[in-house]
Amino acid sequence: MKVLLLLIGLIAGSAASEYSVIMSKKNSLSTLTLQQIRDVYLQKRHTIGDQTIIPVNLVGQNEVRSAFESIVLGMDRNRLNAYWIKQHFQGATPPLTQPSIESVRLFVQNVEGAMGYIPSSMVDNGVKVVYEF
Amino acid sequence: MNTVNMVTRSVGILIGLTMALQAEPYTLGQGIQVNDMVNIGSYFSTEFLAKKGQDTASVEDVAVMAYGDINPMLSYMAELESVGFYSKNISTGIETGNQTFHIERLYGDLWLADAYNIRFGKQITPIGYWNKEPINVLRDTTSNPLYTTLLFPRFLTGIDINGYIPGVEGARYHLFGQKNHDFDDEYINIPNTHFFGLSVEKELSTEWSAGGSFGEYTTKLTDQRTRFVQANAKYDDAVWQVMGEALMAKSEYATTEDSSALSGYIQGMYRYTPEHAFVTRAEYFDDHHTKYKDTIGIVGYSYRPLYPVSLKGEYQWHSLNAESCFLFSFSVLF
Repeated sequence: MKVLLLLIGLIAGSAASEYSVIMSKKNSLSTLTLQQIRDVYLQKRHTIGDQTIIPVNLVGQNEVRSAFESIVLGMDRNRLNAYWIKQHFQGATPPLTQPSIESVRLFVQNVEGAMGYIPSSMVDNGVKVVYEF
Repeated sequence: MNTVNMVTRSVGILIGLTMALQAEPYTLGQGIQVNDMVNIGSYFSTEFLAKKGQDTASVEDVAVMAYGDINPMLSYMAELESVGFYSKNISTGIETGNQTFHIERLYGDLWLADAYNIRFGKQITPIGYWNKEPINVLRDTTSNPLYTTLLFPRFLTGIDINGYIPGVEGARYHLFGQKNHDFDDEYINIPNTHFFGLSVEKELSTEWSAGGSFGEYTTKLTDQRTRFVQANAKYDDAVWQVMGEALMAKSEYATTEDSSALSGYIQGMYRYTPEHAFVTRAEYFDDHHTKYKDTIGIVGYSYRPLYPVSLKGEYQWHSLNAESCFLFSFSVLF
């Protein structure tokens, strides 16, 4: 029986998503769709339901950010750079940035409506997961 | 030559201001964020046109813009542009130019909800793809399709109510109207006194999108009333981009018979690398009233050492042979 449970645990562990999109526990949102998160990060949408969302990026080139851009936003850095240059002409600016994964987690924990992405292994009780990738 | 010096000096001053004001690391093409209320940017483009008996070098556009959030619900955009800043006919040596800056855009955005924003003031008409990104540096060819310049007003001096269409993921609408003269009648392709329409667009996937619009306008000088329907579709991935737009218009005139116009283009781009791309475009334009009919084929090459720095060359074949030409441009967005 123990072997069986161990096997199930290993399978579940290997299938778990590597990264999580997180939000503060102060808001009532639970799970979000990929399209909603994409729209928020591309500044096409500012709210989900009644909640104003403040997306936060990790600064610079980063493995976690690259995975987020590729999987969730569906763009590589070149396309994203082109997108923000076009948005600059339209009068829109990219999301705020935070210097580290820990600061993203703390920002999201403390600011109602803040949204960030971190490795799933760093998720704790201070934040809630709204999407995994 | 004085004009060229003036341009050089203006760009120098702009760069100097840029360096002095910047608080965050500056990324070329994304402007300077002074604070939440003030972001500034600028762009310019130069062109070389080789056409039968008419070789021309020009500083085509010089523009500055500012935008920002006044509060979480209210933001603004202001842009001043000089078109035809300086031009020299290389064959004749004649120099011309107009350094007058016009108001390209001056509007406020009142955000009430994602499904309900109000944009008021002079703004770009929210139709299709091309018209919404009209500056040289953001385009992949130096030329504009005739469709975007001759058949509907490129700007609106009025109100655009826009936002997400509730219940339809990835779909947006624009309901726009104008019941007055343009903010600057000298600086619009079709001066008009009345212009309204509805456009919708939908992201079908990360790569695919489509949309359409319809509207009506009355021209200022001829009192011609035109109604149009338009459609657009685009596929865009990291390597390929294919997009097309088409418009059909019907006009009523006070003294002549009604007439119609039909125009459209399809453009394909292959990004060999992020910096290098091959572009080809086919265009059709037929305006029965002006009896202007042309079919155009274009092949071009685009080189962007950085995305906001664009060097482009193209050759255009026209069914109206005298219009065939070579175009080259260099443009930068700051």
